[in-house]
Amino acid sequence: MADTQTASARGPADAGPGGPRAAKRKGLSERTLAKVFVSPSILLMALVALFPVIWAVVISLYAYSRRQQVGFGGLDNYITALTDGRFWDAVWFTFVFTVTSVTFEFLSGMGFALIMNQAFRGRGVTRAAILIPWVIPTVIAAQMWFFMFNVTPGFINNLLGLGNFNWLGQPGWPIFAVVFADVWKTAPFVALLLLAGLQTIPGDVYESARVDNASMFQRFFYITLPLLKPAILVALLFRTVDALRVYDLPAVMTGGAFGTESLAILVREFVVRTPNPGYGAALSTLTFILVLGIGMIFVTLLGRDLVIGTEEER
Amino acid sequence: MSGTTPAPVEAVSKHRERPKNGGQGVVERRSQLQIWGKSALLAIILLWCLFPFFWLIMTSFKKGDLALNSPNLFQGPFGFQNYEAVFSLNFHLNLRNSFIVAGTTTVICIIVGSLAGYAIARLPMKRKVLLLSGILAVSLFPPVALVPPLYELWLRLGLLNTWEGLYIPYTAFTLPLTIFILVTFYASIPKDLEEAARVDGATPFQAFYRVILPLAAPGVFAAAIIIFVQAWNEFLLANTFAPRNPEIAQTVPVAIAAFTGAVPFQRPIGTITAACVIVTIPMIIVALVFQKRIVAGLTAGSVKG
Repeated sequence: MADTQTASARGPADAGPGGPRAAKRKGLSERTLAKVFVSPSILLMALVALFPVIWAVVISLYAYSRRQQVGFGGLDNYITALTDGRFWDAVWFTFVFTVTSVTFEFLSGMGFALIMNQAFRGRGVTRAAILIPWVIPTVIAAQMWFFMFNVTPGFINNLLGLGNFNWLGQPGWPIFAVVFADVWKTAPFVALLLLAGLQTIPGDVYESARVDNASMFQRFFYITLPLLKPAILVALLFRTVDALRVYDLPAVMTGGAFGTESLAILVREFVVRTPNPGYGAALSTLTFILVLGIGMIFVTLLGRDLVIGTEEER
Repeated sequence: MSGTTPAPVEAVSKHRERPKNGGQGVVERRSQLQIWGKSALLAIILLWCLFPFFWLIMTSFKKGDLALNSPNLFQGPFGFQNYEAVFSLNFHLNLRNSFIVAGTTTVICIIVGSLAGYAIARLPMKRKVLLLSGILAVSLFPPVALVPPLYELWLRLGLLNTWEGLYIPYTAFTLPLTIFILVTFYASIPKDLEEAARVDGATPFQAFYRVILPLAAPGVFAAAIIIFVQAWNEFLLANTFAPRNPEIAQTVPVAIAAFTGAVPFQRPIGTITAACVIVTIPMIIVALVFQKRIVAGLTAGSVKG
């Protein structure tokens, strides 16, 4: 277990051309090796993810005009953001979108998972099919559902006999279309996560519950749900955090019109279309705090097992 | 490769054993009717997942204005017009850009991530919990938070509208997921193997490189598919850092979102649906062929969608 400084490198495995060179590395102990192995990842994440977030905070404290820094503004950008109705509209949409889409994804995903766990015939095919909405780009799902909801060609209107109902072009309804498209794309994914959880529940638990004459609902609420709790929490965590950063669907389906401007769309607007880096950075910092804050609430709920879960000692 | 599969996949394929011991006794008691009922429910799931693609394919083959005017899927005439139109818009260059960006992201992520994953799963390390919490925090980062600062930075470094400008942030964002997936796979490889290698005189690095890495191949492969799919599908950063010009760096999702037609304020339904089909068919094939690997990877990393 200790350092292998003295061991000879004449093992049969070392006969390859890399042998002599590898022998020089003898000095690397496990602890050093661990540091060497981990550092590129940490460096990359720190440089490309952590550093920009900190830099955004710095940018957000300056006043800009036409992309030129014109002086230190303190918290001005934040005050502008927090008193701007457009920011709160975006917060509201993002919030409503997250709550409704995660709820429906969870309910239908759970339904899918239970059905698939029960079925004997055709489960393999279904599991393959269920991956397909996950695998295609969200932009494609967005365009697809845009045209299905759109007045021309009016596929959904035709199906439901609604005539020329304008799903995407009047206040109130676009959010329904966007949530629907999101549920279509992600409910199967939630189902996959929950199905994996369901399959770790040993069959004999149900067997003995059946012997005790537990009804189907009792079995679900007293056995399945409690045992599935970790899988449910993990699925909810990732879905919630992901829904809070929603961009693709509303950007493509409505362009943010009719109250479907998410926080991500708003931030991008102030970076690309109405260039004001300071204000954009203030908005992005607020979004960051919001999303990470909610994520952290979940993580504390889940506790250490989310992180440690798979490993044993140390 | 097939010889190395058992160890990592075993953890994931528990579900295949369950119907045998947990379900068999039940099957006999169940009436034929119930089995058919359940199959019908499965059919609903299948329809839910697959019908939109049927709509997509039928629409993409409709000629001219028909796609926009008739909701009836089976009304012809059909033809390949839209597909010709897509490639006249340089869509093949978009495909090239996406392949390069997603491919590079995958390669870097796998190299860097498998080292870190191994160290975290197997090697002694101080403050491991802190490290894992940090990685988890990065995986919760909203990509929007990077948009303003990286845009400013890329502007100065000249990385806007380049492949590098895309795969560098993609790598950073996909690394946490890669590490989580790979930690799970490395942890499922029996420890005795390394110890045996060490007894034979291998250094810790040799034990990793010669013994563990080949055994982890299926897990690495699963991670690679998932990274590739995520990088391929990314839209926010791609749309911000490389919004135009298929000749340079515009990726597939950005192109599909940006197609404009001859009629102003009207999206060209034919071109868009045809482009969607071109992208979707290979991805469906990938999903079908590698479904077991993908599911294993997804559940190991508990990924976001």
